[in-house]
Amino acid sequence: MKKRGGLVLALAVFAAAALASTAGAGSSAVTRSQAVSCKSTLKLGMVAPFTGGAGFLGNEQLSWAKYAVKTLAPKYGLKIKLVTGDTPVEQGPAPAQTLAQKFVADKSVVAVIGPSTSGAVAASSQVYRDAGLAHISESATRTSLTKGSALEATSAFFRVVPGDYIQGPTDANFMIKKGAKNVVVIDFQEPYSQGLADAAENVLDKKGVTTTRLSIANTVTDFSSFVTKVPSSADFVFFPTQKPGDAQNFAQQLIEQGKKAKVFGGDGSNDATQFKVPGSFVSNFAPDITGIAYNKPLIAGWQKDNPGKAVGSFGPPTYLAVQVALNAIKRACDAGKGSIKERADVVRNVKRIFVKNSILGGDFRFSTKSNDPLNAKFYIFEIQSNGSYKLVG
Amino acid sequence: MVTLLQFTLDGLALGNARVDEFTQLTLNGLTLGSVYALIALGYSLVYGILKLLNFAHGDVFMVGTFIGFGTLQVLGGSTDPVVPVWALLILITLAAMAGCAVLGVAIERFAYRPLRDAPRIAPLISALGVSFFIAYSMQLMFGAALKNYDTFSLDGGALYFKGFDIGNVRVPLIRIITIVSAFVMMILLWLLVTRTRIGKAMRATSHDREAAAMMGIDIDKVIVFAFVLGSALAGAAGVLFALRVPTYATIGFLIGLKGFTAAVIGGIGSIPGALAGGLVLGFAEAYTQGYVSTRWSDLFVFVILILFLLFRPQGLLGKADIRKV
Repeated sequence: MKKRGGLVLALAVFAAAALASTAGAGSSAVTRSQAVSCKSTLKLGMVAPFTGGAGFLGNEQLSWAKYAVKTLAPKYGLKIKLVTGDTPVEQGPAPAQTLAQKFVADKSVVAVIGPSTSGAVAASSQVYRDAGLAHISESATRTSLTKGSALEATSAFFRVVPGDYIQGPTDANFMIKKGAKNVVVIDFQEPYSQGLADAAENVLDKKGVTTTRLSIANTVTDFSSFVTKVPSSADFVFFPTQKPGDAQNFAQQLIEQGKKAKVFGGDGSNDATQFKVPGSFVSNFAPDITGIAYNKPLIAGWQKDNPGKAVGSFGPPTYLAVQVALNAIKRACDAGKGSIKERADVVRNVKRIFVKNSILGGDFRFSTKSNDPLNAKFYIFEIQSNGSYKLVG
Repeated sequence: MVTLLQFTLDGLALGNARVDEFTQLTLNGLTLGSVYALIALGYSLVYGILKLLNFAHGDVFMVGTFIGFGTLQVLGGSTDPVVPVWALLILITLAAMAGCAVLGVAIERFAYRPLRDAPRIAPLISALGVSFFIAYSMQLMFGAALKNYDTFSLDGGALYFKGFDIGNVRVPLIRIITIVSAFVMMILLWLLVTRTRIGKAMRATSHDREAAAMMGIDIDKVIVFAFVLGSALAGAAGVLFALRVPTYATIGFLIGLKGFTAAVIGGIGSIPGALAGGLVLGFAEAYTQGYVSTRWSDLFVFVILILFLLFRPQGLLGKADIRKV
């Protein structure tokens, strides 16, 4: 009896292992090579945080993605359905991995917009690459996604915004230009903030600025003790959070404890409705697009679909990402004479896309050396006494 | 000589900086400890009478933060309130207390009363279930994003800019309000429990439930009153906490555990013990974050809980249980 039971158990374990080892490979092999007709409704996946502390970002991006699909898909002769997946920043990488499996398994998904956050890209890019699925991020800026010796993203990953290897030094040099002698640099124990904090701290250290590094868990909301550690002589606190509410809270608590340091947030803090302490700074990968004349009809159209909403900084890059994706899908369809032979055809075409007079100002193309945009830059805004953001660098 | 003078001045400056740091951390601990004490009181009130650990108490606190936030929006928000600031703060606190009191009564009626005669594990599990139910219901209804009272915008930031100084350390109005309000509520509770008829009934029920019933005390009424009081205090603690720190739907679990730890440290079932435990915990957390590491403070708090349970389970001010054998 015991022998028989042992044999059955061993067989069960063997069967489970065999099933597990073939499952992943099987599904990506099937979906990589299955052709899709361009006359059918193609799906564009979108991965962003729609809930949680960074929900404001995902929802803004979604409104622009919907507008882009609505206005651009007919121009390219495509029928596109946007399918979304939520990756709340508080839940770490797991949701991004689950969504990647879901989109990869659906053969009508021919490209993905996002993931929005660097951690989600790092967690899921391999899955997309194995399935030959292009994923174009509108806001994941971590340097090591596309640069360095241990790349966290794959050749199927693209982004329409510059990386933190530009943001970190831009922010650091601005602080130095403002006379900073003592800066506190904070990270939140997750990929986005750690990369950006490292990039800024390197430049500050090289230029002789005294830096203090603090590390705060992503779930902390009472920063009292961290604020206590900020030296009275500190000029800035570099605060690369993905939650503008935290930047506001930290800035308030600095004032509460009588510290003179100003909060300098990264692109994740960029939300005038939540982060509005005067004298603070934020950086962002997009300028104020309302100042670009040729954007006026586009903005008017978006505002008609989104009455009462302000044009933020995260939405316009999403429009560009969708534009790049649809353009690449169209090219793949043309090359395949009405069908996309395999998803990797879209990936190959993304790299070749050129957009004249893009929504972000100027022409857009990818660098030949990486899948990052060519000649992109970051912009610095100062928060005014009325809460508005003024471009200062 | 010059070097010695400079060394002395540097030492004095460093000494002053250290004193300022200690003062600020003490203020942080006092602010946090006041909130923990109010939460611990709720645990102690219910445990004292029912011998039940109400693990949903932290989520009642969380609901209090949300009710305060909602009331603030109804009253015009922090940028354009329709009443003076002092009235605004009182109204949102009272609203949170009232709302949480109702919630506490509902929890007692539907989650605990049916299990009063069941084995002790049953109401404990029910409490955990209620805790998760409340937290995720709130998340479903109101989303997972932070809710910020934005008290900085009230009256041009007066709550932050006004106050007084202890040396180089500012004590802003917002902290004074938090600490003083918490202490006033604790004093009022103590007076109610020691000087009123219902308080006497609560003490009698806590001492011996059966005997109290035989003496004509309506036990159900006393138990409900304990939940009303404890939950109202949790609601008040929620508002006092959220005046300075944004809230979210799942904040109640960890803060509730810390309130429970404070109750254990002070002596669960003891009202002065809840105050003592809250303050001890607040200071321990603040000093650990300041002098050891911010990453270790939560670990340290729960190590304290384990040590008290092992070596002094009755807490600082509680009494050891004597059982007749």
